[in-house]
Amino acid sequence: MVKSQKWFFLYALVITLVIFNFGIFMGCMLEQSRVDKINIWYLEAELELLDQRIQKDAFEIIDLNCTAMIEENIKFADKIFEEALVIQKYEDANRINQEIIFQHKRYDLLRTLFWINSMRIKEKCNSDYHNVVYFYQYNNPSIEQKSKQKFFSNLLCEIKQEKGNKIMLIPMAADNNVSSINLLLDKYGISELPVILIDEKIKITELDSMEDVMRHLN
Amino acid sequence: METLPIIYLGYMFISIYFLSLFLLLYVKNRKELFGAPKIGKRYSISVLVPAYNEEGTIENTIKAIFSSEYPIKELIVLNDGSKDNTGRIVERLLKKYSNLKLINKENSGKADSLNQGIKLAGGDLVAVVDADSYPAKDSFSKLIGFFDKEDVGVATCSIIPRNKNKFIERLQLIEYNVIAFTRKLLGYVDAIYVTPGPLALYRKNALEKIGGFSTKNMTEDIEATWHLAYEGYKRKMCLATYATTTVPNKFKPWYKQRRRWNIGGLQCISQYKGCFLKKGMLGFFILPFFVLQLFLGLLGLSIFIYLITTRIISNYIFANYSIYVGTPLITMNDFYITPSFLNYLGVILLLTGVVFTILVLGVMKEKILRKQNIFNLFFYFIFYLSIYPFIMITAIYHFFKGTGTWR
Repeated sequence: MVKSQKWFFLYALVITLVIFNFGIFMGCMLEQSRVDKINIWYLEAELELLDQRIQKDAFEIIDLNCTAMIEENIKFADKIFEEALVIQKYEDANRINQEIIFQHKRYDLLRTLFWINSMRIKEKCNSDYHNVVYFYQYNNPSIEQKSKQKFFSNLLCEIKQEKGNKIMLIPMAADNNVSSINLLLDKYGISELPVILIDEKIKITELDSMEDVMRHLN
Repeated sequence: METLPIIYLGYMFISIYFLSLFLLLYVKNRKELFGAPKIGKRYSISVLVPAYNEEGTIENTIKAIFSSEYPIKELIVLNDGSKDNTGRIVERLLKKYSNLKLINKENSGKADSLNQGIKLAGGDLVAVVDADSYPAKDSFSKLIGFFDKEDVGVATCSIIPRNKNKFIERLQLIEYNVIAFTRKLLGYVDAIYVTPGPLALYRKNALEKIGGFSTKNMTEDIEATWHLAYEGYKRKMCLATYATTTVPNKFKPWYKQRRRWNIGGLQCISQYKGCFLKKGMLGFFILPFFVLQLFLGLLGLSIFIYLITTRIISNYIFANYSIYVGTPLITMNDFYITPSFLNYLGVILLLTGVVFTILVLGVMKEKILRKQNIFNLFFYFIFYLSIYPFIMITAIYHFFKGTGTWR
């Protein structure tokens, strides 16, 4: 009787494999649903950006309403900033599906495109809004960097709340080996992360007070 | 995938495996779980009670043993150099019970006392009963039938805490019930790894074959069980009867007792390491199970310490920046929690564990759930069991330093 029951070690293994694989499968489904969600956001953002770029290109030939274009631009910036926060959470929670990393790269490219577009609109419309680009370390940040990035992220949220439409907030991973971002990093001499780049001129890596940032945004 | 999630998945796999194994064994054997073999051959029983400073309980232990339904050939109290009134109490009882014997000896430890008792014991079977444990009236009659099979070396029963009013005692009540239940299930696959001190009934010649109890091991009961398994003897468990015992009612003695159990486990691993994947269930289950427990406990603790440390350092740096510059420490974004699927699996596993424990308590007819609330169970799972890896660390320290003490 006892001998026959030793087969239960094997039965338990089979049951475990079934339950375990089912769990992994459900996990994959959950993570894929998040990736799909990001995909839809990305496609929507891509369409909106395309629209922005057409507006900007049209503006070069015909006279368009600058105020409306800037408003659209800021609205778009706010949207992709909010999405970036959610994507960050999804990235932290995704354990199996690595597709989300590629989504992040695509988003970074989209944001780069948006930044360039924003620079041009600002120049063409002679607008007074500020481009605030936040470069951060995406891959294996140290504990120090992680803490600093969380602090910078909170700080920028605070500033955005206070300044509203006066700033165009663009977060961007700086170490994802994207050529266009690397070129821009070189151009603005960015080697230390995280860094806040204001209006393509001022780099902030250390802060003594909120005033250090605010005085560049008035 | 990163390393940590793989480790988490490994933990989950092992947890699901053991949960499945126990559930399968329970479903298969649920009708005979509380059965006991019928008495066939009438064996004579010598009961050994090692005692060191047990004046508070020794009299009741002796009375409980003598009120057994099954006749006792002799009860030998091995007074191990007690400094209290243990000896005097037993001397007084000698007049009342003709087959009670008292051996006063120099303090030499429990195992050595038992070995002296084995030499004196005249029964076919030798029962070991801790001096603070009270066997039920039917304990011996329910265990004796197991010995009709020649290969059975030892049989034991449920050990239930007698004191169960304090919170720590109630947690141990849950623990002891789970242990008894799982031990019974492990018995169906010949994987019982301990026949505990409060009550174990040994075949005398089996004990003689293994040379009695090891005086070098802190848990002579675990070592004896492993040694019997090594010699090919079966170990049996009976849920139909029980013995009550006094459990520690304060954290410090509880911690010391668990540490001693752990040191004993480590000593057994060290002693029997050569049996890995040999000697039947000893090498194929018991030894790997103990090693796995040790490994998982230490790995889990290391990960826990790593995560806590990095979190503290990270939060400290973040707080420093935030306070210095005057930005908020907490934002709304911090409250939007996005759980990973590992979090979901972890919660499901925890709930399954709780349900399994409720099932155990239900099967064991333990009324704890009616008397107390579900909080005890969650506390047991989340905090009580989490202390074990910490105990393991101190046990390893004492094991290598050789400084473990019995009490």
